Amino acid sequence: MVSLMQGFLFLRNITIVFIAMLALGPPAHAVPSFARQTGLACEACHTVFPELTHFGRMFKANGFTLDNLKQVRDIDSRKQQLLSLSALPPLAAMIQASQTWLNQSLPDSTNLPARSQRSTIGVPQQLALFYAGKVAPHVGAMIQITYANDTGTIGIDNTDLRYANLALLPNDHGLVYGISINNNPTVEDLWNSTPAWGFPYASTNAGVSPLAATQIDGTLAQQMAGISLYAMWNESLYAELGVYHSAQQGVTNPITGAAGPLDGTASNVLDGSAPYARIAYEYQYGRHDLEVGAYGAGFRLYPGGSSTAPNPLSGPVNRFDDIAEDLQYQFIGENNIVTVAGTFIHESMHLDASYISGASVNPTDQLTTTRFDANYYYRRTYAITVSHFSTSGTVDTGLYSAGRAPGVITSANGSPDTRGWMGEISYLPWLNTKLSLQYTHYDQFNGARNDYDGFDRNASANDTSYLLLWLTF
Amino acid sequence: MPTRRIGPLQSAGALAFLALLASLPARAAGISAQARLAAERVAVSTCANCHGWRGHSVAPKFPVLAGQHSGYLLAQLHAFKAQTRGDPDAIGYMWGMAAALDDSQMVALSDYYSRQPPVAGPRGDPHLTRRGRAIYLHGDAAEGIPPCAVCHGPTAAGNTTYPRLAGQHVQYLMKQLRSFKDNLRDVAIMHGVARGLRVADMRAVSVYLQSLGS
Repeated sequence: MVSLMQGFLFLRNITIVFIAMLALGPPAHAVPSFARQTGLACEACHTVFPELTHFGRMFKANGFTLDNLKQVRDIDSRKQQLLSLSALPPLAAMIQASQTWLNQSLPDSTNLPARSQRSTIGVPQQLALFYAGKVAPHVGAMIQITYANDTGTIGIDNTDLRYANLALLPNDHGLVYGISINNNPTVEDLWNSTPAWGFPYASTNAGVSPLAATQIDGTLAQQMAGISLYAMWNESLYAELGVYHSAQQGVTNPITGAAGPLDGTASNVLDGSAPYARIAYEYQYGRHDLEVGAYGAGFRLYPGGSSTAPNPLSGPVNRFDDIAEDLQYQFIGENNIVTVAGTFIHESMHLDASYISGASVNPTDQLTTTRFDANYYYRRTYAITVSHFSTSGTVDTGLYSAGRAPGVITSANGSPDTRGWMGEISYLPWLNTKLSLQYTHYDQFNGARNDYDGFDRNASANDTSYLLLWLTF
Repeated sequence: MPTRRIGPLQSAGALAFLALLASLPARAAGISAQARLAAERVAVSTCANCHGWRGHSVAPKFPVLAGQHSGYLLAQLHAFKAQTRGDPDAIGYMWGMAAALDDSQMVALSDYYSRQPPVAGPRGDPHLTRRGRAIYLHGDAAEGIPPCAVCHGPTAAGNTTYPRLAGQHVQYLMKQLRSFKDNLRDVAIMHGVARGLRVADMRAVSVYLQSLGS
C-alpha cells in the first residue's frame, strides 16, 4: 500500500513538472553547453540524446572545439592565437528523476522472512553538472560531476579532456588527430556500440545487478585514468592507442593520508599500465551509416585488500585480456530514424592471484558478453528500443560464490550466466526532455532461471520496471 | 483552372533579391592565398562533416555544394547569419554555423565550393523523370507552373544569380520547394512558383534534377 501511494505521488509530481514545463515553453537545445557553444540544435549531433550522429562523432573527434560564440581573444605580434575563450562558460546540468519497481521485493537484509519495499524513488536519481565545450583553440573537455542518490555523495563521473587538430592531406582529404585524457576506457569512443555510451543510456541504480561483467564493460570506470592517441582519416577510418593506470577516487595512503601512492589497503589496483586499442571504419551511403570495429584492453590487477585486511601489491596478479567487436548501423531520415548497435566482448582471465588465495577455483576462466539494441525514433519525439543482453562464462564457485543468506547477489551453481531482454519507450516533447519507461526481463540470472541464488529467488524476480524523467539544461 | 501569376509585390521582392545576388560575386575577387587555405581547412574539418568531401554530400538531407555558384552560396551564408532564411535545417544547423563567419571567410568558402567539379546524382523513376523534365523545361501552363529553365538554365547549371540545381539531392530539393511554398525562405519569386506546385510535381522535378550531370 505504501509503495502504491509512493507511486501515485511520484506520477503526480512528474505530471506537475511536465505541466510546469509546458507553461514555460520549449528550451532551445538538448545538450545544452555544446548546443550553446555551436549554435546548432541537438539534432546536428544527436539522433536522440545521447546517441550521436556522424556530425556529433566528428565534433567529438575534433575535441569539442567548434565554437560559434563570441570569443575573448588575444594574439601575439605574429598573429598567433594566445587565447580564444568563449564569452560564456560551457556549463550544463542534468537531472534524472526515477522510480524503479522490482518484480519481486528483496528479502529484508537483517530480518528474514521480512521483505524490503518493492519500489524505489530517486528524486534525483542523479544530478550532474557538466563543463562540456572548448577550453582553448584545440582543446576541449567534457567533465561530469554527479550526485547520485545511492552513494549520497558528489563524485567525479565520466571525464574526457581532449586536444585535437587537423592535418590537411593532398586532394582535400583530412586527418583528424588528437589526444584524450579520460577516466573510463571507451568514454572517448565515437560510437554508441561500445560500453561507455552504449544502450541502455540510463538505467536504474535500484535494481539487482548480475555478478559478472568484463573489465572493459565499465567495471573499472572512474577508477582508472588513461591517455590515448587517436586519428581519424577522411571521417571514416579511426584508430586509437592508449594506456591506463589506476586512479582511484576516495582512496588515500594510510601513512601520509594523501591521495597516494596506493598500497595493499586498496583493492583492484592495476599493475603498471593497461594497454587499450581501438580500430573502426565508418561508411556513409545516402541516409545510411555503417560502422564496424574492434577494441580491446589488457588489465593486470592486484587483488589488494582493505584497511582491515590488507594484501600487498606484489606477487601474482589477475590478468584480464578483453577483445571486443562492435557494429553500428544508422538510418537517418527526415521523420524516421533507426539505429542498431551491438558489441561482443570476450574476456580471457588468468587468475594467478585469486587462484592462489582461493578466491577462484580455476586458474583460468572465460567470460563473454553479447549485447545488441535496435532503436526506432519517430520525428525525434517518440522512441522505442529493444535490446538483448547475454553474459556467459566458465563455472567458478570461487569467483561467483554461493555466499550466504539472503542470497540475491549470489550464484548457487557458480555460473556467471545471465541473459535477458530490455524494452524501452520514450517520449521527448522537446529535444532535451526525455520521459522513458524501461522494462528489463531476465531469462537467466547468475547461472539459473529458477532458484539461482539457492534461496528460492528466480531470475524473473529481478525483472525491473523503470520510469525515468531525464532533463538536460 | 486559372493560371497563377507572380504578383507585383513578389516581383519587386525578387528584383531586390536578384540585385543583392548580383552584387555579391564581385566581392569574391581578391581572395588571398592565406584565406583560401583557411577556408579549405574549415571546409575539410567542419563543412565536410555534413556536405561531404569537396561538397559532394552523400546524405540527402544536406545539399551538394560542389560546383554551386559562389554568389548564391555567399547570399545563403549571409541569410543564415542574418537569420532571414528560415527553413528548419537552416535554423537547426546553419544559423549557428554561419554565426561566427566573417565576410572574408564567407567569400573564401563560397569560392572554395564553387571551384569543385559537380557530379550527377543517381537516376530515378523514368516516368517521374520525364514528367520532371517537361515541367523543368516547359512548365505546365494548365497548372500555372512556369518553366524552371528560364532562370536556372536549360541544363540546370544555374548562373551567378540563380543556383545550380543539377545533381542536387531529391530530398533536399523537395524540402526546399516545400519551404518556398510555406514562405520560410523569404524568396518571393520561388514562393510564387512553389505555392502552386503539387507534391507529385515537386518530386518529379526533383528526380529529374538529381539525375542531371555536370
